Amino acid sequence: MLPSLFLAFVEAPVAAAHAAHAAAAEPGIAEKFGLEWKYVVIQAISFLILFVVLYLKAIKPTIAAMDERAHQIDAGLKYAEEMKTRLAATQQQTESTIKEAQQKAQAIVAETQKTAKEFADKQQNEAIEKASGLIAKAQEAIELEKKKMLAEARTEIARLVVATTERVLAKKLTEADRASYNETAARELTGV
Amino acid sequence: MAAVAKQAQQLARQLFKLSVVDSVVSTDRVAGVLAYVEKHAPANAVLVLKAYHRLVSVELAKSEARVEHAGAVAPAALTAIAAAMTKKYSRPIAATSHANPALLAGLRVRVGDDVYESSVSGQLAALSLSV
Repeated sequence: MLPSLFLAFVEAPVAAAHAAHAAAAEPGIAEKFGLEWKYVVIQAISFLILFVVLYLKAIKPTIAAMDERAHQIDAGLKYAEEMKTRLAATQQQTESTIKEAQQKAQAIVAETQKTAKEFADKQQNEAIEKASGLIAKAQEAIELEKKKMLAEARTEIARLVVATTERVLAKKLTEADRASYNETAARELTGV
Repeated sequence: MAAVAKQAQQLARQLFKLSVVDSVVSTDRVAGVLAYVEKHAPANAVLVLKAYHRLVSVELAKSEARVEHAGAVAPAALTAIAAAMTKKYSRPIAATSHANPALLAGLRVRVGDDVYESSVSGQLAALSLSV
């Protein structure tokens, strides 16, 4: 807006001077084509001014914005790359941790299974030993009971035999038999 | 109470020693001891007399061969037993006869705490124990 006003303000006197000059001089190639140096200079100055203004007001901020945007994009890409690297490292670390945890878990499971098996074996052995002890004690008790019963039966049989014999002898022994036995006993006792 | 019994036992032993002559209980000495106790009436006389009686009984049992028998026993056998026991214990021992049908046949001689037996019941009992 400002350059266009400036041009309009400057071009009016320049055009008047130019018309006067053209009427006085012989027209050359430049005049034939309508080329006025002062206009060219003025156009150049206007262009420079426009360029400076555009550069200062539009191009430079745009370049700065683009640079900033490029910098942000680079930073973002760099951050993304870093994040990608970190993610990879984290994934690797996570995989390593998971693998280590799995190994530890497997070791714990194996140790637990081993301990459980040992405990079960120990319990089984103890149960077998206890059962063997009980069986041995039961057999011993049975054997003792058997011996006791046999001894009692033997004693009872002997008692019955002796009692029966005593009854038989009490009935069957005559006085003569007793006297004879007494004499023998007396001889035996006097020899003590 | 225990002290009283102990004193009575000691007095009974002293009286018993006075009653024995040549390892034999003397009837006269026993009569004299009884007369002494009756006359002087020592403390706890009943306890003293009981202890004295027990001691005399034990000593008399040592001087007696109690012959238990089933069936008849010849007097000669009793004499032979008395002689044998007198010789064995080195003191005069008299044999007394007591019937005991439980022996079935044979003899059982008891001198004090010692018992000698040769009887059918004894042999049967030994047989019963040995089975």
